[in-house]
Amino acid sequence: MRLLSLETEQFEDGNIRGWLPVNNTIATPTGGPRLAAVAMLVDALGGLRSISAAAPDWAFTADMSIHLLPTGPMKQLQADLYVRRRGRRTLVIEAELSADGVRPAGLAIMTFAVVPRPEHLVNITIDMTPGRRSMSTLPPDQPEAGPYFEELAVVVERPGHVVIELRPEVANTVGALHGAVHTAVIDAASVSLGQEFLGPDAETVDMHLAFLDLATKGPMRAVATSVGESIPGQDRLTLSVEVFDAEDRLCSYATTEVVA
Amino acid sequence: MAGFNAGEGVGVAMYLAMPIMEIGDGTAPLPHTRGEFCVQDHLVDSEGRLATGLLASIADSIGGMTSGVACLPDWIVTTNLALRRAPDALAGPRGTGPLTLDTRILRRGRSSVVGRTDVTDQAGNPVATTWMTCAVLTPAGGPPPFSRPVRLDHREVPDDPIFRTRPEEFFALEAGERPGIAVLAVSDRLRNPWGILHGGSVAVVLDAAARSLVTGVAAPAPTPGVIVTDLVIHYLSPGRVGPVHAVAETIGTRGTEVMVRISVRDHGADDRLMALAIATVRTDLGPFATDR
Repeated sequence: MRLLSLETEQFEDGNIRGWLPVNNTIATPTGGPRLAAVAMLVDALGGLRSISAAAPDWAFTADMSIHLLPTGPMKQLQADLYVRRRGRRTLVIEAELSADGVRPAGLAIMTFAVVPRPEHLVNITIDMTPGRRSMSTLPPDQPEAGPYFEELAVVVERPGHVVIELRPEVANTVGALHGAVHTAVIDAASVSLGQEFLGPDAETVDMHLAFLDLATKGPMRAVATSVGESIPGQDRLTLSVEVFDAEDRLCSYATTEVVA
Repeated sequence: MAGFNAGEGVGVAMYLAMPIMEIGDGTAPLPHTRGEFCVQDHLVDSEGRLATGLLASIADSIGGMTSGVACLPDWIVTTNLALRRAPDALAGPRGTGPLTLDTRILRRGRSSVVGRTDVTDQAGNPVATTWMTCAVLTPAGGPPPFSRPVRLDHREVPDDPIFRTRPEEFFALEAGERPGIAVLAVSDRLRNPWGILHGGSVAVVLDAAARSLVTGVAAPAPTPGVIVTDLVIHYLSPGRVGPVHAVAETIGTRGTEVMVRISVRDHGADDRLMALAIATVRTDLGPFATDR
Protein backbone atom coordinates (compact mmCIF):
# COMPACT_ATOMS: atom_id res chain seq x y z
CA MET A 1 0.00 0.00 0.00
CA ARG A 2 2.88 2.32 0.84
CA LEU A 3 4.42 1.78 -2.58
CA LEU A 4 1.41 3.13 -4.37
CA SER A 5 0.88 6.42 -2.50
CA LEU A 6 -2.86 5.93 -2.23
CA GLU A 7 -5.04 8.78 -1.05
CA THR A 8 -8.54 8.75 0.32
CA GLU A 9 -11.31 11.20 1.10
CA GLN A 10 -14.01 10.38 3.59
CA PHE A 11 -17.41 12.05 3.25
CA GLU A 12 -20.02 12.95 5.87
CA ASP A 13 -22.37 10.21 4.66
CA GLY A 14 -19.69 7.56 5.18
CA ASN A 15 -18.92 7.08 1.51
CA ILE A 16 -15.35 7.14 0.34
CA ARG A 17 -13.36 8.31 -2.65
CA GLY A 18 -9.76 7.37 -3.30
CA TRP A 19 -6.97 7.90 -5.78
CA LEU A 20 -4.12 5.88 -7.21
CA PRO A 21 -1.36 7.90 -8.90
CA VAL A 22 -0.52 6.22 -12.19
CA ASN A 23 3.14 6.22 -13.17
CA ASN A 24 5.38 3.91 -15.14
CA THR A 25 5.90 1.55 -12.19
CA ILE A 26 2.29 0.39 -12.42
CA ALA A 27 1.28 1.31 -15.98
CA THR A 28 0.37 -1.28 -18.59
CA PRO A 29 1.55 -0.99 -22.22
CA THR A 30 -1.63 0.99 -22.98
CA GLY A 31 -1.01 3.51 -20.20
CA GLY A 32 -3.65 2.61 -17.65
CA PRO A 33 -2.86 1.10 -14.25
CA ARG A 34 -2.33 -2.66 -14.11
CA LEU A 35 -5.09 -4.64 -12.48
CA ALA A 36 -3.00 -5.58 -9.45
CA ALA A 37 -2.54 -1.93 -8.51
CA VAL A 38 -6.22 -1.19 -9.05
CA ALA A 39 -7.01 -4.10 -6.76
CA MET A 40 -4.83 -2.59 -4.03
CA LEU A 41 -6.75 0.69 -4.29
CA VAL A 42 -10.13 -1.03 -4.28
CA ASP A 43 -9.19 -3.41 -1.47
CA ALA A 44 -7.81 -0.64 0.72
CA LEU A 45 -10.78 1.64 0.20
CA GLY A 46 -13.23 -1.22 0.56
CA GLY A 47 -11.64 -2.22 3.84
CA LEU A 48 -11.88 1.35 5.06
CA ARG A 49 -15.48 1.70 3.97
CA SER A 50 -16.38 -1.60 5.60
CA ILE A 51 -15.34 -0.34 9.03
CA SER A 52 -18.26 2.02 9.44
CA ALA A 53 -20.61 -0.06 7.30
CA ALA A 54 -20.07 -3.20 9.37
CA ALA A 55 -19.86 -1.50 12.77
CA PRO A 56 -20.04 -2.64 15.50
CA ASP A 57 -18.97 -5.85 13.76
CA TRP A 58 -15.95 -6.35 11.54
CA ALA A 59 -15.69 -7.36 7.88
CA PHE A 60 -13.23 -9.46 5.90
CA THR A 61 -12.98 -9.43 2.13
CA ALA A 62 -14.52 -12.64 0.77
CA ASP A 63 -14.37 -11.95 -2.93
CA MET A 64 -13.65 -9.25 -5.43
CA SER A 65 -14.35 -8.68 -9.10
CA ILE A 66 -12.63 -5.99 -11.12
CA HIS A 67 -13.52 -4.99 -14.68
CA LEU A 68 -11.30 -2.48 -16.46
CA LEU A 69 -11.95 -0.39 -19.55
CA PRO A 70 -9.30 0.89 -21.95
CA THR A 71 -8.50 4.42 -20.87
CA GLY A 72 -5.07 5.23 -22.22
CA PRO A 73 -2.65 7.17 -20.03
CA MET A 74 -3.95 9.01 -16.99
CA LYS A 75 -2.53 10.91 -14.02
CA GLN A 76 -4.58 9.07 -11.44
CA LEU A 77 -7.29 6.51 -11.10
CA GLN A 78 -10.23 7.58 -8.98
CA ALA A 79 -12.52 5.17 -7.16
CA ASP A 80 -15.88 6.09 -5.64
CA LEU A 81 -17.26 3.50 -3.24
CA TYR A 82 -20.87 2.79 -2.38
CA VAL A 83 -22.43 0.27 -0.02
CA ARG A 84 -24.99 -1.77 -1.98
CA ARG A 85 -26.03 -4.11 0.79
CA ARG A 86 -25.44 -4.48 4.50
CA GLY A 87 -26.92 -7.75 5.65
CA ARG A 88 -26.43 -9.62 8.87
CA ARG A 89 -23.57 -11.63 7.47
CA THR A 90 -22.50 -10.00 4.24
CA LEU A 91 -21.63 -6.55 3.04
CA VAL A 92 -21.46 -5.67 -0.66
CA ILE A 93 -19.56 -2.60 -1.83
CA GLU A 94 -19.30 -1.30 -5.38
CA ALA A 95 -16.47 0.88 -6.70
CA GLU A 96 -16.91 3.10 -9.73
CA LEU A 97 -13.55 3.70 -11.39
CA SER A 98 -12.65 6.72 -13.49
CA ALA A 99 -9.55 8.07 -15.16
CA ASP A 100 -8.69 11.47 -13.67
CA GLY A 101 -12.24 11.59 -12.36
CA VAL A 102 -13.74 12.16 -15.79
CA ARG A 103 -13.44 9.09 -18.04
CA PRO A 104 -15.04 5.74 -17.09
CA ALA A 105 -12.32 3.24 -16.23
CA GLY A 106 -14.36 0.30 -15.01
CA LEU A 107 -16.17 -1.16 -12.04
CA ALA A 108 -15.37 -3.34 -9.07
CA ILE A 109 -17.56 -5.18 -6.58
CA MET A 110 -16.47 -6.70 -3.30
CA THR A 111 -18.26 -8.97 -0.88
CA PHE A 112 -17.26 -8.89 2.76
CA ALA A 113 -18.06 -11.47 5.40
CA VAL A 114 -19.42 -9.70 8.48
CA VAL A 115 -18.19 -11.25 11.73
CA PRO A 116 -18.05 -10.27 15.39
CA ARG A 117 -15.14 -7.90 15.86
CA PRO A 118 -12.05 -9.98 16.63
CA GLU A 119 -10.52 -9.49 20.04
CA HIS A 120 -7.28 -8.00 18.72
CA LEU A 121 -9.23 -5.34 16.85
CA VAL A 122 -11.60 -4.26 19.60
CA ASN A 123 -9.53 -1.27 20.63
CA ILE A 124 -8.18 -0.30 17.23
CA THR A 125 -8.60 3.39 16.40
CA ILE A 126 -8.94 4.46 12.79
CA ASP A 127 -9.39 8.05 11.76
CA MET A 128 -12.80 8.13 10.07
CA THR A 129 -13.36 11.88 10.22
CA PRO A 130 -14.31 13.54 6.93
CA GLY A 131 -11.45 14.85 4.83
CA ARG A 132 -8.71 13.89 2.41
CA ARG A 133 -5.60 12.10 3.59
CA SER A 134 -2.76 9.90 2.47
CA MET A 135 -3.05 6.16 3.10
CA SER A 136 0.70 6.17 3.83
CA THR A 137 3.66 6.83 1.62
CA LEU A 138 7.26 5.73 1.51
CA PRO A 139 9.50 7.53 4.03
CA PRO A 140 11.54 10.32 2.39
CA ASP A 141 14.84 8.47 2.80
CA GLN A 142 13.62 5.49 0.77
CA PRO A 143 14.72 5.13 -2.85
CA GLU A 144 12.02 5.64 -5.45
CA ALA A 145 9.81 2.64 -6.00
CA GLY A 146 10.58 0.40 -8.95
CA PRO A 147 8.15 -1.64 -11.05
CA TYR A 148 5.34 -2.89 -8.84
CA PHE A 149 5.86 -6.61 -9.35
CA GLU A 150 9.60 -6.26 -8.76
CA GLU A 151 9.00 -4.35 -5.54
CA LEU A 152 6.69 -7.13 -4.35
CA ALA A 153 9.32 -9.68 -5.44
CA VAL A 154 6.88 -11.58 -7.63
CA VAL A 155 8.96 -14.06 -9.63
CA VAL A 156 7.76 -15.52 -12.91
CA GLU A 157 9.18 -19.03 -13.08
CA ARG A 158 7.66 -19.81 -16.45
CA PRO A 159 4.57 -18.65 -18.35
CA GLY A 160 1.56 -19.00 -16.06
CA HIS A 161 3.62 -19.90 -13.00
CA VAL A 162 4.72 -17.29 -10.45
CA VAL A 163 5.93 -17.43 -6.87
CA ILE A 164 6.17 -14.96 -4.03
CA GLU A 165 7.84 -15.30 -0.65
CA LEU A 166 5.80 -14.38 2.39
CA ARG A 167 7.58 -11.35 3.82
CA PRO A 168 6.29 -8.68 6.22
CA GLU A 169 6.08 -6.23 3.30
CA VAL A 170 3.44 -8.36 1.54
CA ALA A 171 1.60 -9.60 4.62
CA ASN A 172 -1.51 -8.30 6.32
CA THR A 173 -2.01 -7.62 10.01
CA VAL A 174 -2.31 -11.32 10.87
CA GLY A 175 0.81 -12.30 8.95
CA ALA A 176 -0.95 -13.85 5.95
CA LEU A 177 -0.46 -12.82 2.33
CA HIS A 178 -2.28 -9.49 1.86
CA GLY A 179 -5.46 -9.81 -0.17
CA ALA A 180 -4.28 -7.33 -2.78
CA VAL A 181 -1.02 -9.25 -3.14
CA HIS A 182 -3.10 -12.29 -4.07
CA THR A 183 -4.33 -10.18 -6.97
CA ALA A 184 -0.75 -9.27 -7.85
CA VAL A 185 0.35 -12.88 -8.23
CA ILE A 186 -2.86 -13.68 -10.10
CA ASP A 187 -2.26 -10.71 -12.42
CA ALA A 188 1.39 -11.67 -12.92
CA ALA A 189 0.55 -15.31 -13.69
CA SER A 190 -2.17 -14.21 -16.11
CA VAL A 191 0.01 -11.69 -17.92
CA SER A 192 2.91 -14.11 -18.22
CA LEU A 193 0.71 -16.73 -19.83
CA GLY A 194 -0.99 -14.07 -21.93
CA GLN A 195 2.37 -12.87 -23.22
CA GLU A 196 3.15 -16.42 -24.31
CA PHE A 197 0.04 -16.57 -26.51
CA LEU A 198 -0.79 -12.94 -27.30
CA GLY A 199 2.54 -11.14 -27.30
CA PRO A 200 4.40 -8.72 -25.05
CA ASP A 201 1.56 -6.23 -24.69
CA ALA A 202 -0.76 -8.64 -22.88
CA GLU A 203 -2.53 -7.17 -19.88
CA THR A 204 -5.16 -8.43 -17.43
CA VAL A 205 -8.39 -6.49 -17.77
CA ASP A 206 -10.90 -8.52 -15.80
CA MET A 207 -10.80 -10.69 -12.70
CA HIS A 208 -13.26 -12.61 -10.52
CA LEU A 209 -11.50 -13.64 -7.31
CA ALA A 210 -12.60 -15.72 -4.31
CA PHE A 211 -10.47 -15.69 -1.16
CA LEU A 212 -10.54 -19.16 0.33
CA ASP A 213 -8.02 -19.40 3.13
CA LEU A 214 -5.33 -17.39 4.87
CA ALA A 215 -2.02 -17.94 3.11
CA THR A 216 0.35 -18.11 6.06
CA LYS A 217 3.07 -20.45 4.84
CA GLY A 218 5.22 -19.21 2.00
CA PRO A 219 6.33 -19.31 -0.65
CA MET A 220 3.00 -19.01 -2.46
CA ARG A 221 2.50 -20.12 -6.04
CA ALA A 222 0.02 -18.88 -8.60
CA VAL A 223 -0.76 -21.17 -11.50
CA ALA A 224 -2.72 -19.93 -14.50
CA THR A 225 -4.33 -22.21 -17.06
CA SER A 226 -6.30 -21.38 -20.17
CA VAL A 227 -10.05 -21.99 -20.30
CA GLY A 228 -10.37 -23.34 -23.83
CA GLU A 229 -7.73 -23.06 -26.48
CA SER A 230 -6.12 -19.90 -27.69
CA ILE A 231 -7.47 -18.99 -31.10
CA PRO A 232 -4.82 -17.90 -33.61
CA GLY A 233 -5.28 -14.22 -34.42
CA GLN A 234 -7.45 -13.60 -31.38
CA ASP A 235 -6.50 -10.86 -28.98
CA ARG A 236 -7.83 -12.35 -25.74
CA LEU A 237 -7.37 -15.27 -23.41
CA THR A 238 -9.62 -16.54 -20.62
CA LEU A 239 -7.79 -18.07 -17.67
CA SER A 240 -8.37 -19.72 -14.34
CA VAL A 241 -5.75 -19.07 -11.68
CA GLU A 242 -5.12 -20.92 -8.44
CA VAL A 243 -2.97 -19.63 -5.59
CA PHE A 244 -1.41 -22.25 -3.32
CA ASP A 245 0.64 -21.92 -0.16
CA ALA A 246 3.77 -23.92 0.66
CA GLU A 247 1.63 -26.83 1.86
CA ASP A 248 -0.34 -26.95 -1.38
CA ARG A 249 -3.48 -25.57 0.21
CA LEU A 250 -5.64 -23.65 -2.27
CA CYS A 251 -5.79 -20.15 -0.77
CA SER A 252 -7.54 -18.23 -3.53
CA TYR A 253 -9.13 -18.92 -6.88
CA ALA A 254 -9.75 -16.55 -9.75
CA THR A 255 -10.70 -16.36 -13.36
CA THR A 256 -9.23 -13.63 -15.51
CA GLU A 257 -9.38 -12.16 -18.98
CA VAL A 258 -6.16 -11.09 -20.68
CA VAL A 259 -6.07 -9.00 -23.84
CA ALA A 260 -3.40 -7.61 -26.11
CA MET B 1 -31.94 -19.62 -1.54
CA ALA B 2 -29.96 -21.47 -4.18
CA GLY B 3 -31.93 -23.79 -6.30
CA PHE B 4 -31.39 -27.40 -5.56
CA ASN B 5 -32.12 -29.77 -8.33
CA ALA B 6 -34.30 -32.22 -6.54
CA GLY B 7 -36.90 -31.72 -9.22
CA GLU B 8 -40.42 -32.04 -7.94
CA GLY B 9 -41.98 -28.70 -7.23
CA VAL B 10 -39.02 -26.72 -8.51
CA GLY B 11 -40.07 -25.48 -11.91
CA VAL B 12 -36.70 -24.20 -13.06
CA ALA B 13 -35.03 -27.50 -12.11
CA MET B 14 -37.67 -29.41 -14.06
CA TYR B 15 -37.38 -27.12 -17.06
CA LEU B 16 -33.58 -27.43 -17.07
CA ALA B 17 -33.61 -31.09 -16.00
CA MET B 18 -30.13 -32.40 -15.29
CA PRO B 19 -29.31 -35.79 -13.76
CA ILE B 20 -26.65 -35.29 -11.10
CA MET B 21 -24.53 -37.84 -9.34
CA GLU B 22 -22.01 -37.51 -6.58
CA ILE B 23 -18.57 -38.84 -7.36
CA GLY B 24 -17.32 -41.27 -4.71
CA ASP B 25 -19.09 -42.97 -1.83
CA GLY B 26 -20.58 -39.84 -0.33
CA THR B 27 -18.31 -39.62 2.68
CA ALA B 28 -16.02 -36.88 1.41
CA PRO B 29 -16.47 -33.70 3.48
CA LEU B 30 -16.17 -31.63 0.30
CA PRO B 31 -18.48 -33.29 -2.20
CA HIS B 32 -17.72 -33.63 -5.89
CA THR B 33 -20.66 -33.93 -8.27
CA ARG B 34 -21.25 -34.25 -11.97
CA GLY B 35 -24.31 -33.20 -13.94
CA GLU B 36 -25.21 -34.29 -17.45
CA PHE B 37 -27.27 -31.65 -19.17
CA CYS B 38 -29.12 -32.98 -22.19
CA VAL B 39 -29.78 -30.05 -24.48
CA GLN B 40 -33.27 -29.81 -25.95
CA ASP B 41 -34.02 -27.85 -29.10
CA HIS B 42 -36.28 -25.30 -27.43
CA LEU B 43 -33.50 -24.32 -25.01
CA VAL B 44 -30.74 -23.44 -27.46
CA ASP B 45 -29.98 -21.07 -30.31
CA SER B 46 -29.79 -22.08 -33.96
CA GLU B 47 -26.26 -23.47 -33.49
CA GLY B 48 -27.29 -25.52 -30.47
CA ARG B 49 -25.69 -23.26 -27.89
CA LEU B 50 -27.16 -22.38 -24.51
CA ALA B 51 -27.47 -18.68 -23.66
CA THR B 52 -25.33 -17.48 -20.77
CA GLY B 53 -28.32 -16.88 -18.50
CA LEU B 54 -29.36 -20.52 -18.84
CA LEU B 55 -25.77 -21.69 -18.43
CA ALA B 56 -25.58 -19.69 -15.20
CA SER B 57 -28.88 -21.19 -14.14
CA ILE B 58 -27.74 -24.82 -14.47
CA ALA B 59 -24.41 -23.93 -12.84
CA ASP B 60 -26.36 -22.37 -9.97
CA SER B 61 -28.47 -25.53 -9.67
CA ILE B 62 -25.60 -27.99 -9.41
CA GLY B 63 -23.32 -25.58 -7.54
CA GLY B 64 -26.04 -24.74 -5.03
CA MET B 65 -26.97 -28.37 -4.53
CA THR B 66 -23.37 -29.46 -4.03
CA SER B 67 -22.68 -26.57 -1.65
CA GLY B 68 -25.81 -27.49 0.27
CA VAL B 69 -24.74 -31.12 0.53
CA ALA B 70 -21.42 -29.92 1.93
CA CYS B 71 -23.35 -28.14 4.68
CA LEU B 72 -25.91 -30.75 5.71
CA PRO B 73 -27.83 -30.61 8.02
CA ASP B 74 -27.73 -26.89 7.26
CA TRP B 75 -28.39 -25.51 3.79
CA ILE B 76 -27.23 -22.55 1.73
CA VAL B 77 -28.26 -19.45 -0.18
CA THR B 78 -26.29 -18.25 -3.21
CA THR B 79 -24.66 -14.91 -2.60
CA ASN B 80 -22.74 -14.53 -5.84
CA LEU B 81 -21.89 -16.37 -9.00
CA ALA B 82 -19.12 -15.64 -11.52
CA LEU B 83 -19.05 -17.23 -14.96
CA ARG B 84 -16.72 -17.07 -17.95
CA ARG B 85 -17.31 -18.74 -21.27
CA ALA B 86 -14.41 -20.28 -23.17
CA PRO B 87 -13.62 -17.95 -26.09
CA ASP B 88 -13.13 -20.84 -28.53
CA ALA B 89 -16.60 -22.23 -27.77
CA LEU B 90 -18.64 -19.14 -28.62
CA ALA B 91 -19.21 -19.93 -32.30
CA GLY B 92 -19.23 -23.04 -34.46
CA PRO B 93 -19.80 -26.58 -33.25
CA ARG B 94 -17.59 -26.38 -30.16
CA GLY B 95 -19.64 -25.81 -27.01
CA THR B 96 -22.90 -27.05 -28.50
CA GLY B 97 -24.90 -30.15 -27.68
CA PRO B 98 -24.97 -32.04 -24.37
CA LEU B 99 -22.94 -30.54 -21.56
CA THR B 100 -21.17 -31.99 -18.55
CA LEU B 101 -20.95 -29.92 -15.38
CA ASP B 102 -18.26 -30.94 -12.93
CA THR B 103 -18.58 -29.31 -9.51
CA ARG B 104 -16.07 -29.29 -6.69
CA ILE B 105 -16.27 -27.53 -3.36
CA LEU B 106 -13.20 -25.39 -2.87
CA ARG B 107 -13.92 -24.25 0.64
CA ARG B 108 -16.46 -25.03 3.33
CA GLY B 109 -16.25 -22.49 6.12
CA ARG B 110 -18.49 -21.86 9.11
CA SER B 111 -20.57 -19.27 7.33
CA SER B 112 -19.86 -19.71 3.62
CA VAL B 113 -19.08 -22.24 0.93
CA VAL B 114 -17.24 -21.69 -2.35
CA GLY B 115 -17.72 -24.09 -5.23
CA ARG B 116 -16.31 -24.31 -8.73
CA THR B 117 -18.08 -25.75 -11.75
CA ASP B 118 -16.36 -26.53 -15.04
CA VAL B 119 -18.60 -27.03 -18.05
CA THR B 120 -17.45 -29.13 -21.00
CA ASP B 121 -19.08 -30.32 -24.20
CA GLN B 122 -19.38 -33.92 -25.31
CA ALA B 123 -15.88 -33.89 -26.79
CA GLY B 124 -14.47 -32.63 -23.51
CA ASN B 125 -13.84 -29.09 -24.75
CA PRO B 126 -14.18 -26.41 -22.07
CA VAL B 127 -17.38 -24.41 -22.52
CA ALA B 128 -17.35 -22.28 -19.39
CA THR B 129 -16.05 -22.10 -15.87
CA THR B 130 -17.92 -20.72 -12.90
CA TRP B 131 -17.45 -20.27 -9.20
CA MET B 132 -20.06 -19.36 -6.70
CA THR B 133 -20.24 -18.42 -3.06
CA CYS B 134 -23.09 -19.48 -0.82
CA ALA B 135 -23.95 -18.40 2.71
CA VAL B 136 -24.71 -21.18 5.17
CA LEU B 137 -28.05 -21.01 6.94
CA THR B 138 -30.51 -23.18 8.80
CA PRO B 139 -33.72 -23.30 6.79
CA ALA B 140 -37.07 -23.43 8.51
CA GLY B 141 -38.37 -26.95 7.99
CA GLY B 142 -34.90 -28.38 7.54
CA PRO B 143 -32.80 -29.02 4.47
CA PRO B 144 -33.95 -30.88 1.35
CA PRO B 145 -34.07 -34.64 1.86
CA PHE B 146 -30.75 -35.78 0.42
CA SER B 147 -28.94 -39.01 1.10
CA ARG B 148 -25.35 -39.52 0.06
CA PRO B 149 -23.92 -40.33 -2.30
CA VAL B 150 -26.36 -38.06 -4.09
CA ARG B 151 -28.13 -39.58 -7.11
CA LEU B 152 -30.62 -37.38 -8.93
CA ASP B 153 -31.55 -39.14 -12.10
CA HIS B 154 -35.11 -38.01 -12.69
CA ARG B 155 -35.82 -36.76 -16.17
CA GLU B 156 -39.57 -36.45 -15.98
CA VAL B 157 -40.92 -33.19 -17.19
CA PRO B 158 -44.48 -32.17 -16.24
CA ASP B 159 -47.21 -32.46 -18.86
CA ASP B 160 -47.76 -28.72 -18.81
CA PRO B 161 -46.68 -27.50 -22.29
CA ILE B 162 -45.01 -24.46 -20.72
CA PHE B 163 -42.11 -26.78 -19.86
CA ARG B 164 -41.43 -27.26 -23.58
CA THR B 165 -41.48 -23.62 -24.59
CA ARG B 166 -38.62 -21.28 -25.38
CA PRO B 167 -36.86 -19.71 -22.36
CA GLU B 168 -38.44 -16.32 -23.06
CA GLU B 169 -41.87 -17.86 -22.58
CA PHE B 170 -41.03 -20.16 -19.67
CA PHE B 171 -39.38 -17.34 -17.75
CA ALA B 172 -42.25 -14.98 -18.68
CA LEU B 173 -39.92 -12.33 -20.06
CA GLU B 174 -41.27 -9.13 -21.52
CA ALA B 175 -39.80 -5.98 -22.96
CA GLY B 176 -39.33 -2.98 -20.74
CA GLU B 177 -39.89 0.60 -21.78
CA ARG B 178 -36.65 0.69 -23.79
CA PRO B 179 -34.01 -1.71 -25.06
CA GLY B 180 -31.88 -2.72 -22.12
CA ILE B 181 -34.80 -3.31 -19.78
CA ALA B 182 -36.22 -6.80 -19.39
CA VAL B 183 -39.17 -7.68 -17.19
CA LEU B 184 -39.92 -11.03 -15.59
CA ALA B 185 -43.31 -11.89 -14.14
CA VAL B 186 -42.87 -13.98 -11.00
CA SER B 187 -44.91 -17.17 -11.20
CA ASP B 188 -44.86 -20.24 -8.99
CA ARG B 189 -42.82 -22.28 -11.46
CA LEU B 190 -39.98 -19.73 -11.15
CA ARG B 191 -39.78 -19.97 -7.38
CA ASN B 192 -37.49 -22.25 -5.42
CA PRO B 193 -38.69 -24.58 -2.63
CA TRP B 194 -38.65 -21.67 -0.19
CA GLY B 195 -40.98 -19.57 -2.31
CA ILE B 196 -38.49 -17.02 -3.56
CA LEU B 197 -37.41 -16.41 -7.12
CA HIS B 198 -34.91 -19.03 -8.31
CA GLY B 199 -31.41 -17.59 -8.79
CA GLY B 200 -31.38 -18.95 -12.33
CA SER B 201 -34.39 -16.81 -13.20
CA VAL B 202 -32.44 -13.74 -12.14
CA ALA B 203 -29.56 -14.79 -14.39
CA VAL B 204 -31.89 -15.25 -17.33
CA VAL B 205 -33.59 -11.86 -17.04
CA LEU B 206 -30.37 -9.91 -16.60
CA ASP B 207 -28.73 -11.73 -19.53
CA ALA B 208 -31.70 -10.70 -21.68
CA ALA B 209 -31.42 -7.08 -20.51
CA ALA B 210 -27.68 -6.91 -21.26
CA ARG B 211 -28.03 -8.30 -24.79
CA SER B 212 -31.04 -6.09 -25.48
CA LEU B 213 -29.09 -3.01 -24.47
CA VAL B 214 -26.17 -3.81 -26.73
CA THR B 215 -28.27 -4.72 -29.79
CA GLY B 216 -30.84 -1.97 -29.30
CA VAL B 217 -33.56 -4.57 -29.82
CA ALA B 218 -36.34 -4.85 -27.28
CA ALA B 219 -35.91 -7.78 -24.88
CA PRO B 220 -36.40 -10.72 -25.01
CA ALA B 221 -35.86 -11.00 -28.76
CA PRO B 222 -33.11 -13.41 -29.87
CA THR B 223 -29.73 -11.77 -30.43
CA PRO B 224 -27.87 -14.23 -32.66
CA GLY B 225 -24.13 -13.85 -32.42
CA VAL B 226 -24.32 -11.48 -29.46
CA ILE B 227 -23.29 -13.32 -26.32
CA VAL B 228 -22.60 -12.48 -22.71
CA THR B 229 -19.12 -13.93 -22.34
CA ASP B 230 -18.56 -13.22 -18.70
CA LEU B 231 -20.86 -12.40 -15.89
CA VAL B 232 -20.71 -11.82 -12.16
CA ILE B 233 -23.96 -11.69 -10.22
CA HIS B 234 -24.30 -10.54 -6.64
CA TYR B 235 -27.58 -11.65 -5.10
CA LEU B 236 -28.52 -8.98 -2.60
CA SER B 237 -32.08 -9.78 -1.52
CA PRO B 238 -34.72 -12.35 -2.46
CA GLY B 239 -37.32 -11.73 -5.16
CA ARG B 240 -40.77 -12.36 -3.77
CA VAL B 241 -43.45 -10.29 -5.50
CA GLY B 242 -42.52 -9.12 -8.98
CA PRO B 243 -42.59 -8.06 -11.66
CA VAL B 244 -38.83 -8.11 -11.66
CA HIS B 245 -37.11 -5.40 -13.69
CA ALA B 246 -33.57 -5.85 -14.99
CA VAL B 247 -32.10 -2.55 -16.14
CA ALA B 248 -28.83 -2.57 -18.07
CA GLU B 249 -26.52 0.37 -18.63
CA THR B 250 -23.36 0.62 -20.68
CA ILE B 251 -20.19 1.32 -18.72
CA GLY B 252 -17.83 1.31 -21.69
CA THR B 253 -16.43 -0.66 -24.59
CA ARG B 254 -13.28 -2.55 -25.44
CA GLY B 255 -13.11 -3.33 -29.13
CA THR B 256 -16.08 -5.55 -29.85
CA GLU B 257 -16.87 -6.09 -26.17
CA VAL B 258 -19.31 -3.97 -24.21
CA MET B 259 -19.14 -3.77 -20.43
CA VAL B 260 -22.63 -3.62 -18.98
CA ARG B 261 -23.91 -3.11 -15.44
CA ILE B 262 -27.29 -4.59 -14.65
CA SER B 263 -29.43 -3.87 -11.61
CA VAL B 264 -32.35 -6.16 -10.87
CA ARG B 265 -35.23 -4.89 -8.75
CA ASP B 266 -38.42 -6.36 -7.34
CA HIS B 267 -40.89 -3.76 -8.56
CA GLY B 268 -43.71 -5.11 -6.40
CA ALA B 269 -41.59 -4.92 -3.26
CA ASP B 270 -40.85 -1.21 -3.29
CA ASP B 271 -38.33 -1.67 -6.11
CA ARG B 272 -35.99 -3.40 -3.73
CA LEU B 273 -32.56 -4.09 -5.24
CA MET B 274 -32.37 -7.87 -5.66
CA ALA B 275 -29.17 -8.30 -7.61
CA LEU B 276 -26.31 -6.40 -9.13
CA ALA B 277 -24.36 -7.81 -12.07
CA ILE B 278 -21.55 -6.88 -14.39
CA ALA B 279 -21.41 -8.52 -17.79
CA THR B 280 -19.23 -8.41 -20.87
CA VAL B 281 -21.18 -8.72 -24.10
CA ARG B 282 -19.37 -9.71 -27.29
CA THR B 283 -20.81 -8.33 -30.47
CA ASP B 284 -18.64 -9.76 -33.23
CA LEU B 285 -19.95 -13.29 -33.49
CA GLY B 286 -22.89 -13.03 -35.86
CA PRO B 287 -25.35 -10.84 -37.73
CA PHE B 288 -25.29 -8.15 -35.05
CA ALA B 289 -21.52 -7.87 -35.53
CA THR B 290 -20.32 -4.31 -35.14
CA ASP B 291 -17.04 -2.61 -35.76
CA ARG B 292 -16.54 -0.63 -32.59
